Amino acid sequence: MIDILKKISSDFFNKQGYPSKKLENWKFTSSKNLIKFDKQDSPDIVSRKIETDESTLLFINGKLCLDTLENFKFKDNLEIQDLVNINDENVFAFSNTFSNDSMFNLGMSDFESGHYIKFKKNTTLENPIKIINFFENNSSDCRITSFNIFHFEEGSQVSIIEKDINEGTPSFNLKLNKFICDDASNLKFGKYIEEKSDCHLLSYSYYEVGKDVCLNIDSMNKNSIFSKEFIEIDLNNTGSDAKINILNLVKNEQHLDNNILINHNAEHCTSFQHVRNILDNKSTAVFNGKVIVAEGAQHTDSNQSNKNLLLSLDSTAFSNPQLEIYADDVSCGHGSTTGALDENSIFYLRARGIDQSSAQKMLIKAFAKEVIDEFSLSSVQDISEIALDSWING
Amino acid sequence: MIKIENLKASIDDKDILKGINLEIPAGEVHVIMGRNGSGKSTLANVIAGNETYEVDGGNITMETTDITEMSIENRALEGIFLCFQYPVAIPGVSMAYFLRSALNAHRKYQGKEEMDALEFLNKAKAILSELGLDDSFLKRSINDGFSGGEKKKSEILQLLTINPKLAVLDETDSGLDVDALRTVAKGVNKFKNENNSVLIITHYQRLLDYIKPDVVHLMIDGKIVKTGDMSLVEKVEKDGYSWLEK
Repeated sequence: MIDILKKISSDFFNKQGYPSKKLENWKFTSSKNLIKFDKQDSPDIVSRKIETDESTLLFINGKLCLDTLENFKFKDNLEIQDLVNINDENVFAFSNTFSNDSMFNLGMSDFESGHYIKFKKNTTLENPIKIINFFENNSSDCRITSFNIFHFEEGSQVSIIEKDINEGTPSFNLKLNKFICDDASNLKFGKYIEEKSDCHLLSYSYYEVGKDVCLNIDSMNKNSIFSKEFIEIDLNNTGSDAKINILNLVKNEQHLDNNILINHNAEHCTSFQHVRNILDNKSTAVFNGKVIVAEGAQHTDSNQSNKNLLLSLDSTAFSNPQLEIYADDVSCGHGSTTGALDENSIFYLRARGIDQSSAQKMLIKAFAKEVIDEFSLSSVQDISEIALDSWING
Repeated sequence: MIKIENLKASIDDKDILKGINLEIPAGEVHVIMGRNGSGKSTLANVIAGNETYEVDGGNITMETTDITEMSIENRALEGIFLCFQYPVAIPGVSMAYFLRSALNAHRKYQGKEEMDALEFLNKAKAILSELGLDDSFLKRSINDGFSGGEKKKSEILQLLTINPKLAVLDETDSGLDVDALRTVAKGVNKFKNENNSVLIITHYQRLLDYIKPDVVHLMIDGKIVKTGDMSLVEKVEKDGYSWLEK
């Protein structure tokens, strides 16, 4: 099955090539930055030992490190298969948006091995699982591609904190993930990306959501010189709730792009997108957020919010919140703001004896805190606050 | 305490203050009244160092220090406190964090040790109690979602916590009901002593029923045109300001 998919994807990419700026999803992000990463080099063995504990799943260059499974305390709750052994085409089904994106197809044709990781029915984990994605390469300009599928069976309640670590020479990490959330499952997925400054990241995360599912995605990203993240959520059955909260800290000439699509395909679902970008120097941030409410998806309640704080006259934010509604009994809202620190607020703080630099930092933290406070995982909140402090003072 | 000599200020090339002379000794409460647009709030903001305004001439001296060119925060640290007419809301910064940061900035400037969190909380809670505010006030973001009365009480809480040398109350009485007005006045009366000064900018007599001024100034078109005692307030209440132009 996987060989057929890889062949189809390879043909697609060879025909389409790298995406141009004429495409809506690539309008503000140039794929030219990625072309030079044309070598594939993803050794399984890395130069140093990576510390893991009994709640950590380690992926080295996108491949699950089976050694760490021996000590993994929740291994009885898991069922793991190599993707080569999966023959159910539904497992590999992705949205049309992804299937028609040439970089996604490049990833599908590229990856060497991946896993299907299933959390069994009614698995309840009190503490979060850690996923460490360790990337290391030996030659410059190389592309490391990974593809893994996570399946949360009915009634499972799982929290995951994912962290990327990059070592070696500059690379381009192309990550494809699929998350299948069965009925009544509860997934809290926290991502913390503190890449090396010369690492390029392009990720595609597709969430297939069943009935009465509660899905939370928390994400904090800083230091990526180039990061483009596609998140697509299909709310396919009634009563589900998806919340996405993202904080991006960008400076120097970093470029960061969040591309989010939520498809309300069923009645009585709720979704919430909250993306905040803080930009300094000559950095750029892009928000492409879309909610599509299908015909018949009545009683949808959806909200999108993108707020950009520009700390420099040379920083740029592109914000494109969109709603497509084909049902008539829904509540949908969206909003976007872009601006500098409020001078009146700075004056107010300084008039109480707080120096200008401290007043500015206080306001930056306040801006970020409003999204950090919405994170579903307290550990991601804590990590984000520490990262924010070092970013502001760095 | 503060001496203002021939102060001139403008905004967007429009002259607002046209030669203000004012001296407030320690231990005194002064009041400035005047029509809308006469320059009262501009004077308050220029004293506090608001950089929106251009100082075109004159001097402001705080005790023996010329603060005319001083930064906003250094003026505050020298003892100037502006009670804002429209306090800004700052979501995401708690009152406790803000107040403690402000207090410790002052203590550092005065060569004192920073106040630890417990000591600060005890101090703040005692003031909150006097203002009839719940302790949870400290957990709320600065002025965010506050009613008009709460905003003004927040200003008085800050005043009493920081304990500056000069309090400039810019229409602090506007939009307050009688109970809130009494609370604000009680706070100001608690603040004032023989070592500090208060400058009240107001349109109405009602706040002055609770805070007795020593000197009253009337301002017209960017200048103080009349100085006297409480009887001036009564005349303004009765006759307005047009008699000053005759």
